[in-house]
Amino acid sequence: MPPKEESSKVTRRSTRSSASVTVENSEPIESHTPTIDDLTFGEESITIDAVLSNFPGRRSQIFDFIRLMGPLDCPTLPIMIYGGASTGKTSVVLQVLRHLNRPFVYSSCRTCYNPRILFESILNQLLLHRKCSLNGYSSAKRCDKPSDFVNLLREALSSVIKTLESTSGTSRSDKPDEKPMGKMVYLILDNVDLIRDWDKGTIILQFLFSLYTVLKMPQLGIILISGLPPDVYYSNMGYTDPIPLYFPEYSEEDLRQIFLRNQPNRKLYSAFLDVVLKPFCRVTRRVEELSTTFSLLFRKFCEPLDDLGISPNEDMKRRLYSHLKPLIAHCLNEIFRVSSHPHDGETRGERRQKASYSSENREELEILDFHMSTSAKFLLLSAFLASRNPATLDASTFDSTGGMDNRKRKRKASEKSMEKKEIAEQEAVMKGPGSFPLERLLAIFQCIASVGDSSFGEEDEEEENTTGYDKENNNLMSDILLQVSSLCDANFLIKSGSCPLEGSIRYRSMVSEDLAQKVAKSLSFPLSKYLYRR
Amino acid sequence: MGKEIPAEKSLNLIRGRLCDPSFIFRPLSASSDSNYSKLKFIVSTSITEGCNNSILLLGPRGSGKAAVLDLVVGDLLEQFPDSVSVIRLNGLLHSDDNCAFKEIARQLCMEHHLLFSKMASFDENSHFIIAMLRECGLAHKTIIFVLDEFDMFAQGKQRLLYSLLDAMQSVTSQAVVIGISSRLDADQLLEKRVRSRFSHRKILFLPPSRDELDGLLEHLLSLPADSSFPSGYVSRFNDKIKNITSDRRFKDILKTFFNAHSTVNSFLKFIFCAVSLMNLESGLLSLENFKAALSSMQRQPKLEAVRDCSVLELYLLVCMRRLEVKEQSSYNFISVMKEYKAIHDSFQTSDYYAQNVCIRGFEHLRERQVICYAENRGQSQTGEYRPMKLLISASELHQGMRSHACCPAILLKLLDH
Repeated sequence: MPPKEESSKVTRRSTRSSASVTVENSEPIESHTPTIDDLTFGEESITIDAVLSNFPGRRSQIFDFIRLMGPLDCPTLPIMIYGGASTGKTSVVLQVLRHLNRPFVYSSCRTCYNPRILFESILNQLLLHRKCSLNGYSSAKRCDKPSDFVNLLREALSSVIKTLESTSGTSRSDKPDEKPMGKMVYLILDNVDLIRDWDKGTIILQFLFSLYTVLKMPQLGIILISGLPPDVYYSNMGYTDPIPLYFPEYSEEDLRQIFLRNQPNRKLYSAFLDVVLKPFCRVTRRVEELSTTFSLLFRKFCEPLDDLGISPNEDMKRRLYSHLKPLIAHCLNEIFRVSSHPHDGETRGERRQKASYSSENREELEILDFHMSTSAKFLLLSAFLASRNPATLDASTFDSTGGMDNRKRKRKASEKSMEKKEIAEQEAVMKGPGSFPLERLLAIFQCIASVGDSSFGEEDEEEENTTGYDKENNNLMSDILLQVSSLCDANFLIKSGSCPLEGSIRYRSMVSEDLAQKVAKSLSFPLSKYLYRR
Repeated sequence: MGKEIPAEKSLNLIRGRLCDPSFIFRPLSASSDSNYSKLKFIVSTSITEGCNNSILLLGPRGSGKAAVLDLVVGDLLEQFPDSVSVIRLNGLLHSDDNCAFKEIARQLCMEHHLLFSKMASFDENSHFIIAMLRECGLAHKTIIFVLDEFDMFAQGKQRLLYSLLDAMQSVTSQAVVIGISSRLDADQLLEKRVRSRFSHRKILFLPPSRDELDGLLEHLLSLPADSSFPSGYVSRFNDKIKNITSDRRFKDILKTFFNAHSTVNSFLKFIFCAVSLMNLESGLLSLENFKAALSSMQRQPKLEAVRDCSVLELYLLVCMRRLEVKEQSSYNFISVMKEYKAIHDSFQTSDYYAQNVCIRGFEHLRERQVICYAENRGQSQTGEYRPMKLLISASELHQGMRSHACCPAILLKLLDH
């Protein structure tokens, strides 16, 4: 996922087309032809203080980057900016270029997913060509090989530089306060690490790293942004590596400042952060993951307050903390989800006071949160059992008494057998779930479906349900094969290698034990009786 | 504002010099037995005597092979203005034969003001090239073919090399083929028939000596005493440079630098980093700039990656390390979770999280390339069962954890046992 930052925290980067479109959106044909000005950021320039305040915690990186870029018209060697996800690399680069008001060409290797689109996007921007209905949404030049790209890039760059030189000579009467654009053009390539997965990716990467030496044009500055450190690009061909600039993950103090930006009531939010920031930072320090959790938690935090504009005193803070505390321990174990039903606020408060919170949560966790048909659920369970149980025990497990006799004879386990058991356990863990042929799956399915059927009748649920299921049982075969293929598509079953002698396809269950337990509970199926435990 | 302008100008000047290879290599090539002179001698004799020749320039990346060649070619174009034309090919771009022939034809057309058709086929291009070679030979014009990344041309069937070298065997053509490669065994890659037509002339580019580099440093950093700078500023700047270069600490910095890097290009990068840190208010360089530049070139990426980890991710790393210490040769996510649970049971840590949170921590670690899947074959398994391995060593993990901002003490204890 591209690093997303909430618009409340940092100014959202605007795309060039939205920045330079001045006509109303209702007109189908754009009357705006791009000029050399469109190569700059497009919005009004901001001061360095604005940049620094927009990015708390990035002060040294911003200054390093500005220093590496150098003053106006200063030639520069290629720079590589690297760091983890959502550390602000792209935004900092674009905002600094907005501050410096220099022309640049931006292309992301995430949206331009093969070399041809990448090259053509760069050339379109340099040739000031916009795809519209008039030219049939085509690019200015067709280019899919690096050799063509170098030639076309050289031509495009020379024309752009010539235009820049002529405009820099004349004084700009319409915008006298703006910084001059200079005579250099910067090429920014984002998400360079994705090129490794492309077809012939290593050649393209090699080409990009040596682009500066191949072109021999000092008026071009190249900035590469990568999510991975530069060592992953080392190949046995070697290259002169660009100058690295590292964006570390935010520290706790920086995170606090980031989250406090643009909050309407800072005192309240900082009281909230005092409670949640430390425990959540132990799990992850990424802004995008924390922000989703924090926004939901903050809503819960403010629940007992009537007026959200007050600044809390110690007493109120203690009350709010105790209100929130049980939820934090639970949220730490969730990803991106604060499990709470937003509509029953009062009842939750009552239930919480009963201090049965943990057991109630367990109940909640065991509810399946997606819908599957009954036969699909039984298939899932049979696949799970087939993967977990060794095939030799099938006969005893699935006999007519239903369920395994788990009363093992107690025997004193000798040390050797304990060791063997441990090794066998390790091997089982390493190998993962076992594979089984289709026939075994169907056999187990028929066994447990009949068990489930009878238990259905015992529990006396809606009568139509049981009778309907009875009728279906006869025509089950074709439906079952359909269900198997849809389970495969949903990745609950996967096809593993087939046995070369028999030639039949073997399947493997990919369901975790938690999910199997949830499914079994929804069917009221006694899964633990059938599961083989060593 | 008045003070900033000379600082910016000097910065622009020095950085411009650093990005301009010909400025850098001209003084290095001044002596008579340098590679520049050798190359110039060979090529100029081929031009004047009208014979064919082929040379290889070999040396590690960044030693200035292409730069010296450009100097030679520039000089020869001045010396023999009408009898030399240059065709440049690059192995990264033109390793495909079709591409290469098209590019040669295009450059020939540009040189001789002919119309180039993009639709020309491979045969047409090769006929055209051979015809041009013959014509140029008859007109006593030498064509210099510069083949950058020569080893890339030597992959595959080597058709381009063979046709070029074969065409040079005929009496009428006058061509010089200069190959540039960073593989020192580039000539061993040639096929038999190509190698027989190749004259085994090689020029090796060795790392420069300390004296040469000191001279280069001075040449780069001294400002010219012309009128575009305020006069006092130039002398102040140059004096400061002399002070710095004669300082013992600076010599230590250089020695540490040269322990790890030997090529001219890495030296230039080092100077670039130092110069860009120049204080724009005073407009003078200082020793601290060089120190900072050195530390920026001595990055430790795995250490940075470990320092970026959250506490949960550190736990996972420690569990994996403990499994390795227990001589479990292969382990996957489930076994790491078991170890994690065992640690929690025995030490009652406060950091015990659910499985899906730990999976997310694993994914973060994998993205940062601190761990990876041990083999690529097991694609049919989910990520939880695939064997994994650590990509950092125990000492790096130790060091990273000790310099981590909030690493719990118990983890360090667990790592040692």
